[in-house]
Amino acid sequence: MILVENISKIHRRNDGAPVHALRNVSISISAGEFVTIRGASGSGKSSLLNILGCLDRPTGGSYRLAGEDVSSYSDRSLARIRNQKIGFVFQAFQLLPRTTAVENVEIPMVYSGSRVDRRRALQALERVGLGARARHFAAELSGGEQQRVAIARALINDPALVLADEPTGNLDFAASSEIMRIFKELHADGRTIVMVTHDESIAAHARRQILLSDGAVIEDAAICAEERWQ
Amino acid sequence: MKSIEQCKQGMRAIVRFRRRSVFMMAGIAIGVATLSVLNSIGENTRRDTVKRVKNMLGTFDTVMVRPGGKTRGMVSLSNVDPSLKFEDAAAIAREIAGVKQVARLQNAFDIDVSYRDQQISPAVFGVSDNWLALRGDEVEQGSFVSAEDDRRMMRVAVIGSDVRKSLFQQASPIGKTIRIGGVPFEVKGVLASRGAGPAGASLDNIVIIPVSTASRRLFNRDFLTMIIAQVKDPDDSTKVAAAISRLLRERHQLAPGMLDDFNITDPQAVLAQLTNVNSTLTMILRGVAFLGMFGGGVVIMALMTLGVSERRREIGLRQSVGANRGDILFQFLFEAFVVASSGGLFGAAVSWGGVEAVAAYQKLPAVFDQQALLASIALAAIVGVVFGSYPAWKASRVDPVAALRS
Repeated sequence: MILVENISKIHRRNDGAPVHALRNVSISISAGEFVTIRGASGSGKSSLLNILGCLDRPTGGSYRLAGEDVSSYSDRSLARIRNQKIGFVFQAFQLLPRTTAVENVEIPMVYSGSRVDRRRALQALERVGLGARARHFAAELSGGEQQRVAIARALINDPALVLADEPTGNLDFAASSEIMRIFKELHADGRTIVMVTHDESIAAHARRQILLSDGAVIEDAAICAEERWQ
Repeated sequence: MKSIEQCKQGMRAIVRFRRRSVFMMAGIAIGVATLSVLNSIGENTRRDTVKRVKNMLGTFDTVMVRPGGKTRGMVSLSNVDPSLKFEDAAAIAREIAGVKQVARLQNAFDIDVSYRDQQISPAVFGVSDNWLALRGDEVEQGSFVSAEDDRRMMRVAVIGSDVRKSLFQQASPIGKTIRIGGVPFEVKGVLASRGAGPAGASLDNIVIIPVSTASRRLFNRDFLTMIIAQVKDPDDSTKVAAAISRLLRERHQLAPGMLDDFNITDPQAVLAQLTNVNSTLTMILRGVAFLGMFGGGVVIMALMTLGVSERRREIGLRQSVGANRGDILFQFLFEAFVVASSGGLFGAAVSWGGVEAVAAYQKLPAVFDQQALLASIALAAIVGVVFGSYPAWKASRVDPVAALRS
């Protein structure tokens, strides 16, 4: 699914000094895997996720997504990949606040080239347990509900890859558990999930953990998690 | 399909940010209203000028010849050269092919006219009998000076409506005897009112008598103050004017290089000058209207630029779910287009009222040019897109990574 070879990302600070966000990172993720990326803040995990999500381009190295070499893709092609193959879930939910839940879910359909299908958006909300709140403004929903709307939005175009950046970072324990339950369901449905977190208890839900430090992979381990799954 | 869905997104954004949208619309509406109202003032003024000039010239198929060089203001017997003779008028009628007929005028302004104890000083015009037809005047009551009156030097007078009001009030003036410079004349007709001339003065304060009577029995002068030549084809007036000029120079024995001792007014030239679309007034009005539209555009640009920085997260989110830079540019341009054209529509509605008000103030019929209205709405849309293109471009350059982190 994901094949990243020797990618690096160098930012320029305002004074022109280079900052190495990623150094020669190579990762291979198969379809259907549930992977967490951990690391301290500034370790490069968000940079990596942005590149995996085709929101950003690496400075060097190559990135193949589902067999396509996207490192050289144009803005237009990358946008199409983001629309069709990737679902994003953000820590801050990123919903349009003065817009209803169902209209938020519809946004990826706008850019898919087909008609916006209200019925499908409502079904997606029902799947995350929010069918009854579809007409509420996003700002009226609780944090956990907002994140569920965001997940429904990420899934509306049926992407194979779901990328989540600290999806439970702004949520309390109960809401976090609900969100993680949904992610496990998605994984069970066969979707590939890559989740950035710095929370070990969240990371423990995954079968594989990648640990980043100072822009480099320092640990990439499959967890024998049978006993933890209970 | 994507464009239609994006337009729907744009419409929702306009509603979502309704307060900002209304301010943008107001900016454009003011611009359009300014444009329409100023345009209508200009058009009204132009039409009014044409009307007044027409009042003075009568019809537009007459060439006027006055004695003296480049004189200014109204001519009268007391301030002109005695260079234009009755024989000149006859020669013009006889020798210039494009001329249909020639009217003669001898006029004065300082003559007392009285009836019983009422006394006024109207313009006194000695005219030939064809004056009426040439000027496009109408007789409201009685009849006009006839060729017979002129030939026999009859003491008859036709009075303007102001004179009738001053001397006779409600009574009928026909058959009454008035005194012009002490000489008794019988009133045989009353002219219909003509209204104001180009300088605003009334054209109805007038007494008309046969020109031969004026020349021989009242003023004792053998020269004319004006010859009016009606041309057969109004389009020929410029050519006829030149022919008259040549004829008069010859008759007055002016050597080449000497200045004319007469001056000729070609109605085509007068009209062209007065209705010049590039006149100072029009240019000023246009400039102000342009500034109004420019102001509307700046409002759009400023508010949209603010809007883009407030909507950075939305832009980043849209990019993350599959919008490319072109999509973002399109949505914001569309929003600018819709807001500006509805502002234009609103401004047009407002200006409708404004035009009526201005017309009422100018005491003129409202000129509401539908084509100009449509043009100003279209202009509003163009202004929206042009001034919206900078913020829309800014929006398309938003870096999604940075926008979503904020």
